[in-house]
Amino acid sequence: MPGPPSTEQAAAPAAAPPTSDEVLAQVRSLLVDVIGDDFLLDTEIELDTSFNEDLELESIEFVALSERLLERYGSQVDFVAWMAEMDLDEIIALTVGELVDFIVTSLS
Amino acid sequence: MARFLVVVPPLTGHVNPTLAVGAALRDRGHEVAWAGPPGLLPSLLAPGATFLPTNDLAIADPIEAVRERSLGLRGPAALKFLWSDVLLPLARGMVDGTDRAVEEFAPDVLLVDQQALAGAVVARRRGLPWLTSATTSAELTDPLAALPQVDGWLRGELQTLQVEAGIDPAEAASGDLRFSEHGILAFTTEALYGTDQPRPANVHFVGPSIGARPPDDAFPWAWLSDDLPHVLVSLGTLNAEAGDRFFAAALEAFADEKLQAVVVAPPELAPDPPPNVLVRARVPQLVLLPRMDAVVSHAGHNTVCESLANGLPLVVAPIRDDQPIIAEQVVRAGAGVRVRFGRARAADLGAAVSEVLTDDRYREAAAVIQRSFLAAGGPATAADVLEDLACRP
Repeated sequence: MPGPPSTEQAAAPAAAPPTSDEVLAQVRSLLVDVIGDDFLLDTEIELDTSFNEDLELESIEFVALSERLLERYGSQVDFVAWMAEMDLDEIIALTVGELVDFIVTSLS
Repeated sequence: MARFLVVVPPLTGHVNPTLAVGAALRDRGHEVAWAGPPGLLPSLLAPGATFLPTNDLAIADPIEAVRERSLGLRGPAALKFLWSDVLLPLARGMVDGTDRAVEEFAPDVLLVDQQALAGAVVARRRGLPWLTSATTSAELTDPLAALPQVDGWLRGELQTLQVEAGIDPAEAASGDLRFSEHGILAFTTEALYGTDQPRPANVHFVGPSIGARPPDDAFPWAWLSDDLPHVLVSLGTLNAEAGDRFFAAALEAFADEKLQAVVVAPPELAPDPPPNVLVRARVPQLVLLPRMDAVVSHAGHNTVCESLANGLPLVVAPIRDDQPIIAEQVVRAGAGVRVRFGRARAADLGAAVSEVLTDDRYREAAAVIQRSFLAAGGPATAADVLEDLACRP
């Protein structure tokens, strides 16, 4: 479950909004950062990969992910507010693809 | 003298802390009874304890079978399962029987486990004073604060439960079945919980309530060598079934290491242990802990508190429910190191165990918590709070 975001300054956004593929690659690298690269192979993280069932992302790792998203994308991507609107079934089913879509939409 | 009814679910970890509290109250001349589903419960109570069953036997036992279905679940899926499949049905099934128990025993005060919601429903419906028994402290930190939809769903379910039982909707919407407005007995201390952590206003940190040592289970005490450090590995009885990968990592981590490990697991889940590892399906944990130097645990609250009560540092591998929060309490207090449970790796587990055994700071932090436990009073303090409530006009 996500906690309060850190208060680091956001990086300046790129000139053109990133594509879906670019964001997927970025999210993969953040997840490898959070979970540890020996636990994952790049090929394991696709759009349909689920945080809960496939990655078994622990609550402390969710918090770490939300902090890294803030660092990477700045306050345009409000991951905590997005999660706060979800009900339990949506959280259980949450996939990497939905996160990618959310980031792309937030930045465009 | 006063009469106290303890309402509990059929879960060992939730019942055990109430035993010493009940004994303390009886020593002071009060009457104490326990109410809950039959089956497992009577065997957990002290000989001669008064037990009032809240259900037919046929309904009670499937609780364990239901919980076994949850073995593979983590995170939000486990949360949903816990409430929708276990706690809310349990409450509905227990309400009538709990009311009969209250009618029969005529308590002055109810002590209601935070997962035996039926006790809270009946106390509210009858206007009886009651305290919450928090045998784990995770709920006290308001873990759903960042997920208002989920929090709202759960509050709605708790209100529905009360209205179904005949409580006025306005009253159902005020207060919380999980946290009595009369007070909460938290069997922990702020040294472990975290002095800076949010908590409800009326929490009493009474410290752990650890029972008297049970008779010595058959354990090969002579196997423990005095020359080597000893590590206990326990994931709790239910989780042991899903821990085969974790146990394999542990066995690999400990082979050729200068230590002895006691692994609590069904032997078929931890096959071919190296000579310095003993695998047992059950151990006399309270008697064994004083012989240990570190504990590897899933961060179940009782095992964590029993370990810290012995001044032992921990390696915590939380799986679900309250465990991630309790694991975080241990790490924040400096009394242990966290490792991943899923996809557990021998190298990480070995390094973590080595660290808590060799870096004295973990043991020192555990000793700080141990001292706080002793100062908090445990069952005696809990009995004081209960007596106060019974005596209030």
